[in-house]
Amino acid sequence: MAWSDNNDLFWFNSSYKKMNRIIILTPLIILLIICFFSLTYLLSGKDPNKPPSALLNKNVPSFESTSLYDTKEIIRTTDIKNRKTLINFFASWCSPCKIEHPLFFEIGKKYPELYLLGFNHKDPTSDAKKYLEDDGNPYDFVGVDADGLIALEFGVFGLPETYLINEEGKIIFKFMGPITKDVLKNEIEPLL
Amino acid sequence: MSSLVGFLSLVFAIGINFYLFLSRYIFKFQKQKFNLFIRFSSLLTLLSFFSLMYAYVVSDFSNYNVFQNSHSNKPLIYKISGTWGNHEGSMLLWLCILSIFSFFFSFTKNIEDNFQKLTLIIQAFLHILFGLFIVFTSNPFLVNSILVNEGLGLNPILQDPGLAVHPPILYAGYVGYSIVFSIAIAGLFQNTDDEWLYVAKKWSLISWTFLTGGIALGSYWAYYELGWGGWWFWDPVENISLMPWIAGLALVHSLMMVRGEQAIKKWIVFLSILCFSLSVFGTFLVRSGILTSVHSFAADASRGIFILLIFFIVTGFGFLVFLLKEPKKSNALNLLFINKVSALVINNILMIIATLTILLGTIYPIIIEVLYNKRISVGGPYFNSTVIPIMIPGFLLMSIAPILSWQTNKINNSKKYVLAFIILSVLVLIQSYFLDFNTWGFVGLLLGFWIILASIIAIFSSYKIKINIKFFKIINPHVAHIGVGIAIIGITCSSVFQNELDFNLNEGDKFNVNGKTVLFEKIETTNEINFQSLRGKFLFDIEKNQSKEIEAGKNYYPVSKMITSEAGILHQWNKDIYFILGDQKNNEWFVKVLINPFVSFIWLGVIIMIYSGLIAVTRR
Repeated sequence: MAWSDNNDLFWFNSSYKKMNRIIILTPLIILLIICFFSLTYLLSGKDPNKPPSALLNKNVPSFESTSLYDTKEIIRTTDIKNRKTLINFFASWCSPCKIEHPLFFEIGKKYPELYLLGFNHKDPTSDAKKYLEDDGNPYDFVGVDADGLIALEFGVFGLPETYLINEEGKIIFKFMGPITKDVLKNEIEPLL
Repeated sequence: MSSLVGFLSLVFAIGINFYLFLSRYIFKFQKQKFNLFIRFSSLLTLLSFFSLMYAYVVSDFSNYNVFQNSHSNKPLIYKISGTWGNHEGSMLLWLCILSIFSFFFSFTKNIEDNFQKLTLIIQAFLHILFGLFIVFTSNPFLVNSILVNEGLGLNPILQDPGLAVHPPILYAGYVGYSIVFSIAIAGLFQNTDDEWLYVAKKWSLISWTFLTGGIALGSYWAYYELGWGGWWFWDPVENISLMPWIAGLALVHSLMMVRGEQAIKKWIVFLSILCFSLSVFGTFLVRSGILTSVHSFAADASRGIFILLIFFIVTGFGFLVFLLKEPKKSNALNLLFINKVSALVINNILMIIATLTILLGTIYPIIIEVLYNKRISVGGPYFNSTVIPIMIPGFLLMSIAPILSWQTNKINNSKKYVLAFIILSVLVLIQSYFLDFNTWGFVGLLLGFWIILASIIAIFSSYKIKINIKFFKIINPHVAHIGVGIAIIGITCSSVFQNELDFNLNEGDKFNVNGKTVLFEKIETTNEINFQSLRGKFLFDIEKNQSKEIEAGKNYYPVSKMITSEAGILHQWNKDIYFILGDQKNNEWFVKVLINPFVSFIWLGVIIMIYSGLIAVTRR
């Protein structure tokens, strides 16, 4: 009898230990489940709150500007209708602008039908001309925005800033700061 | 310049921690030297944080983070709070608080040298993880590539004095659990005597008190700033702060109650790991941008994955050590009696079930979206109907637990308590009958009053009343429970007996609120430094000479193009009258008035809980 008592006790103890193991494993299992779902969620690239730019898909603000080289030559909003236009705000005093400058030559060469419009922001005319002489002029048209009013209409925060406008005159892309090869390849080119 | 100093000191601090981490295996050195290194790295992390703050104060827009989140027109206090009002800065604050905790822990006396060292090594490990996270995915010291002389401003809804101090206090609570976690893990590794329990108790009380303060501040902010008239919304971000709070409450109670029972010690280790895991998980949910709320800053998948990895490492490591190094010898718990230990065990089980229920509701939308690609949201109804019923038996137990004995079945003065309970039930029932009867209202009021009454009876019948510090330390547990009782009354009244009145008004109209005449005086618009304000001015109780003026309206922040609502609240001791100014239609303004009875009791109850948390920290 004593033997069977012991046996019972042994059985109780071992199953208790097994239970104990399982209970202690639970947190790890829950951890794995949570991590699995969270990781899947993250990798699926869902983004509940990507902030849209205020101007995106809006009509391009109306503007009127004279050419840097010829004060009689004027560009208006209506002039860029019916063609894709890349608008870039730049200045000779803006060092990051120099970084992105060569890329506009590349874009111009690759997409000849794209209209490149540069706005020279708050710059003395002579400085702007010298800048474009030294680094080259990639733009189809260089408008003067001496008092910064056009930039204000576009909501420009700092230089450089770049906008892409489609044939219907809607802003389809906006970028703050110097554009890079990655931005050009991944974000601008698919829209062209 | 300040950015460079900040970045270098951050990297240097991580480097020192790496060196200290390796010191466990490679370079062994003296305790004194070790502690000096820990303190030095803490000061470096602090320096890094203050250089970011300096960049905010002087509006140094060559720092990309400052440019993105600040504006030179902002008042100084919001420039300072802007330091942690964004993802990168808030992570640096997190790391900074982690270092501060290590710093103070290195001064702990009466603790075995090796044990202290191991705890600090685990802290150093956590510092490395979060430090690398900051450097690689959330560097606040990036140089701005755009030449600007103005910044993009701070989320205006976050421009509020309550919210400026809310994150540091909340973080102190979250991160405070890191030290409890490290202590528990070090305890598992070294199997030392029970000295570590006392150390852990102090730190977990500190964290819990900070967490309570942080949650209360956030909740108070939601009450007067969001303009919805409520103070708790079961928002995911609120939930993730509530989970470590409840688990931490269970931890504090277990630490107070443990009298050498192995099973409870094991449970304490489990809770310590759980508290910090939940804190890190909360950080992950907020920072990965999985949750949409006022707290989510720009989302970035790489950040989410990195911090998920940290969560996985920390939690996995913690529970794995727990699994492998669990204390072997075990003496059975005596749960057959109605004694303190059984009450504690039952209460702990209830708290853990509540925590898991909240956890399930919080991550359920993620699971559903992964499985079915549907976006659902789990809100108030789920939590109210699941969490509250779980808590109710816990509250009932709480009222009698302090009078239970340690070993026996005997309850002192049991007749007195039963009599008091019956009288109280009848009184509350009569009171509820004459007001409009509501089951939840009845249950809540009865529980709240009963907890207060039982605690008062316990104080008067068990101790001699003296007015000195020692006495307040002795009755402290009862005081904490009185605080909970008061908060329950406030919560019940403000949610069950809330009254809502809607009006359409012209300027100069008079209307009736709660039997008092209110004059809608005028609408005023003014231009402030960084916003435009629209205010409706109301005169409350115009029949009396001392009528009170209330302003409710909206602010418009042109820089970020956001509108925030500013509720006007008239505080009275027994109710808040809450004015919300709506939109104008057909020359009439829509005005909503909420009467929230006994809201002040919630804040009073919380203040009492914080007070008794502080007293408990000083008690040995």
